[in-house]
Amino acid sequence: MEKVPTICPYCGCGCGLYLHVDKGIICGVSPSRNHPVSKGSLCVKGWNCYEFIQHPDRLTKPLIRINSKEHTTSKKNPPLPPFSKGGRGGINSSLVTHNSSLFREASWDEALSYIAKKLTKIKNTSGPDSIGVLSSAKCTNEENYLMMKFARAVLGTNNIDHCARLCHSSTLGGLASTFGSGAMTNSISEIADARVIFVIGSNTTEQHPMIGMHMLDAVNRGAILMVADPRRNMIAELAHIHLKHKSGTDVALLNSIMNVIINEGLVDIAFIKRRTENFDEFEKVISKYSPDIGEAITGVSADDIRKVARMYAAETRSMLFFSMGITQHITGVDNVRACANLAMLTAHVGHAMTGLNPLRGQNNVQGSCDMGAIPEVYSGYQNVKDASARKKFEAAWGVSLPKKSGLTLIEMLNASRRNKLKAMYIMGENPVISDPDVKHTIEALKKLNFLIVQDIFMTETAKFAHVVLPAASFAEKEGTFTNTERRVQKIRKAIEPAGKAMPDWQIICELSKKMGYNMDYKAPYEVMEEIALLTPSYRGILHHRLDDGYGLQWPCTDVNHPGTQFLHRKKFARGLGSFIPVHYLPPDEQPDEKYPFILTTGRSYFQYHTGTMTRRTTTLEREQPECTVEINAEDAEQFGIKNRAKIKVSTRRGSIEAVADVTDKIIPGTIFIPFHFHEASANVLTNPALDPYAKIPEYKVCAAKVERIHEERPYIK
Amino acid sequence: MKKDLILNKNYLSYWLRQLRKEMQLIGPMRGFKGDFVFKSIGQIHEISLDCPASAPLPKEFVFPHVEEMFEKVFSEQEIKDLQNNDKRIIFGIRPCDMSAINLIDRFYSSKFESSYDLAHPNRKSEDSYYMARRRNTVFISIGCNNPDPTCFCNSVGTGPFLESGFDVQLTDLGDRYFVQTGSKAGKTITNSYRYLFEEAQRQDYDDQYEIMLSALTKFEKRINLEETRQKILAGKVRDSFWEWVSTRCFECGGCVYECPVCTCFNIVERTETDKSPRPPLRAMAFTKGGQGGIKGKRIRIWDTCFFKGFTRMAGGNIPAEKKVMRTKRWWFHKLLYYPEQFKRFGCVGCGRCTITCPGRIDIATISQKIKVEIK
Repeated sequence: MEKVPTICPYCGCGCGLYLHVDKGIICGVSPSRNHPVSKGSLCVKGWNCYEFIQHPDRLTKPLIRINSKEHTTSKKNPPLPPFSKGGRGGINSSLVTHNSSLFREASWDEALSYIAKKLTKIKNTSGPDSIGVLSSAKCTNEENYLMMKFARAVLGTNNIDHCARLCHSSTLGGLASTFGSGAMTNSISEIADARVIFVIGSNTTEQHPMIGMHMLDAVNRGAILMVADPRRNMIAELAHIHLKHKSGTDVALLNSIMNVIINEGLVDIAFIKRRTENFDEFEKVISKYSPDIGEAITGVSADDIRKVARMYAAETRSMLFFSMGITQHITGVDNVRACANLAMLTAHVGHAMTGLNPLRGQNNVQGSCDMGAIPEVYSGYQNVKDASARKKFEAAWGVSLPKKSGLTLIEMLNASRRNKLKAMYIMGENPVISDPDVKHTIEALKKLNFLIVQDIFMTETAKFAHVVLPAASFAEKEGTFTNTERRVQKIRKAIEPAGKAMPDWQIICELSKKMGYNMDYKAPYEVMEEIALLTPSYRGILHHRLDDGYGLQWPCTDVNHPGTQFLHRKKFARGLGSFIPVHYLPPDEQPDEKYPFILTTGRSYFQYHTGTMTRRTTTLEREQPECTVEINAEDAEQFGIKNRAKIKVSTRRGSIEAVADVTDKIIPGTIFIPFHFHEASANVLTNPALDPYAKIPEYKVCAAKVERIHEERPYIK
Repeated sequence: MKKDLILNKNYLSYWLRQLRKEMQLIGPMRGFKGDFVFKSIGQIHEISLDCPASAPLPKEFVFPHVEEMFEKVFSEQEIKDLQNNDKRIIFGIRPCDMSAINLIDRFYSSKFESSYDLAHPNRKSEDSYYMARRRNTVFISIGCNNPDPTCFCNSVGTGPFLESGFDVQLTDLGDRYFVQTGSKAGKTITNSYRYLFEEAQRQDYDDQYEIMLSALTKFEKRINLEETRQKILAGKVRDSFWEWVSTRCFECGGCVYECPVCTCFNIVERTETDKSPRPPLRAMAFTKGGQGGIKGKRIRIWDTCFFKGFTRMAGGNIPAEKKVMRTKRWWFHKLLYYPEQFKRFGCVGCGRCTITCPGRIDIATISQKIKVEIK
């Protein structure tokens, strides 16, 4: 039995673990004792992350959709049975109408030649900007870099995006204008020594359990834990103060906290004078948000607002954490700016055990942003509109690059609905489940002339594809992941890829060769070398340096640089930190008579994202086999809903049926639905209204109604 | 008394090399950056006996994460048994883990004294998959001269050295190992290479005793599980206390996965098909006709009593729905039911839960808390 050290493929914590391999079969997992993040622990997903790797459902050969003509003539490659049968096959079958089409197996050569031919044709007839590319936060840095290069150099478009658009694009946008860098400022290992921990809009113990562990350690050492969340989740139960503000009122809450800090003289004037700008204008806005006004908007008592303000400001070692609860609003960027203002106001940035810490939700979502898998920047956040940056990339890649910024994820789907986008290449993403308003997403995908999906399983999105390419999982390739604290860590190959599956980087290289652009890399370390060459913050990050340590935290500017534990020391990345005043704006959709509830969505502990991995893991699927709707006991009584009763939740976009979870963990008037389940997809309901700057959809607030379904049903499917 | 042996340290690798010719050799090796892992030994000189006492978990070699039980091709009558009969030698296991394996043996083997099954008081039950692995495994354990700060095996009588219950036990006497054999399998592997060993002399016994005494002085933790048990039995530990414990439980299952004594597993079926969607998991029954499947496999995987689904019944009812009930159940099993059933605690004092528990509600910490806070 061999034990291969690698990194967990789930959340952004980046825990170290060992995959146990016996005779080519992955047969277990154990935590790494000395890893700086996990320290010998793992969460339930980490402990069970081995099971999906060799699941029989894995895609093992390239698949090409059979069109009706071919269907009758193809005798050499008999068609496979349809994928979608029964509950487990597909998203609400009513939504999927052309799901009956069939795929046939193809060789790599055939599939890639076919794709190359099609893409070239579309590029030539409709222009490069009629093709959109989705990269993946599940893939390695090298693969994201190559995907970004493929889109820009081979296809010639800046239409590249990935799911960070749906989680932390507002963080990137908000922090770029205030601090100059959108990453977590401090490190996970500092948490245990903090004195005050303020968590807003993050279910840390469930979604970033190992960071939650460090927070608990801090609490054990006497730190104060304050949580602002409409749900009383585990971290809130452990908190000293829990602010149950209404979903979507974060700006009002943060502004009134800052109002107290200013009025009570708890600001750090020296810091504001030396290191920031635009304070006066900001102060004017804040003066309007007295704690009483805060109370009226948020539902949190003015006293609690004062307490939190005093505690956060009074300690020097105060850390502020936020996550999706802040970002997934139409005011996402404003929320993030408010958080940044709070950190700057009290000088809680630029030294250890402080900072503004966005918690990234996927193993490599930080990395894929760093690699420039977003429309407006190249790797290392070098803007595509910046001529000198473009020139550098043009020189290195030997092609001329598009000047205009590209479309974001949701914009691509909208463009497809308007017939502006003809083809999409989706790597390791499942927008049918993860994007807001499923009906529209499906409509958009169906309109595409050509859709390529590259994944490890037949996802709900892949069912709409014209070509499906089988990719290798994290255990079957080399590469690097960047975790939430900017730590670039190496993953190692434990087994050979399933069937004929290939690592994503190899697929991209082969495809670009077919399209006449020679991407020739022997291994991911060669790609990393190119990344280092072109990306100042990754300049010192090379595979051989990662081999004998727990990775390096960027910025790492040369090969002897030890990495950076915390950002903005002595100076903000943009020079002076900027106070950008923000006003409270109500969510796009407010509850009304017809739709009286606020619906907020998120993840559950046992499932992960669109469930392609966790729903194929026995223990995890057993723990949370179905979609449950958290509803307050008072509301439930009013609507005659009993615990575990089947209910129908509807919004202006659609409705789903799920099981009620009557609880006191959520405030009255709000319901919570996890988005993992294709059979009851929460994103059928969500509102695709976008933040004007970051284009992030408002997953956290929409108006909904709840009805009881009068029907006998067995408890378990 | 004169049965014990001495092995010159220079001869160890030769001995292991000879043993490896007969069976798989597994031992503690350096993992990534200061980690240690139990795995198949490549280079014998790379064995790391300097690893911390509680570092690796060798339970998985007799009770693996995933165990394939049997396989059936649906079109055929025959059922293929996938029982693992590989011969293994596990070197460098610690006394606490050895004691734990002895306890698991009693749980899984026919020696299991069923006091609960009143209808069949003499029924012999044996887990053939576990026992097949167990019978084919020989353990060479090594006493702990330097227990970890998290260790408390001395408090539960499972270390730092064992009196019995081992195959071969080594004690590091500096330049040589003091070798005790405690089973037939152990005698076989020493007697076949008897020329490597010398008989232990008076001086060796004295040295071994001295090492044992010095090891005992190095324990940092003083955990009294019996006191905790008495307090629980006397009803002094109130539900509010367990409520507090359970709010800190992350439900990661780490304590159970890492516990050398825990034996929970779940049985599931996997149907291998030509890409048809996986049928829902149903315990203990093959899906009807395979539903398009061609081959089915029954496997068992590690499970945890901390999970809600662990005791979910067919109707959907969960007896231990609240986290506090599940937390309590684990504690009561370890501290009350094990002693009742096996006359031993369900804890061997290895201290692994102390390291792995993200909520810091491991056995040692909570016992200490009960000791100090509950009068």
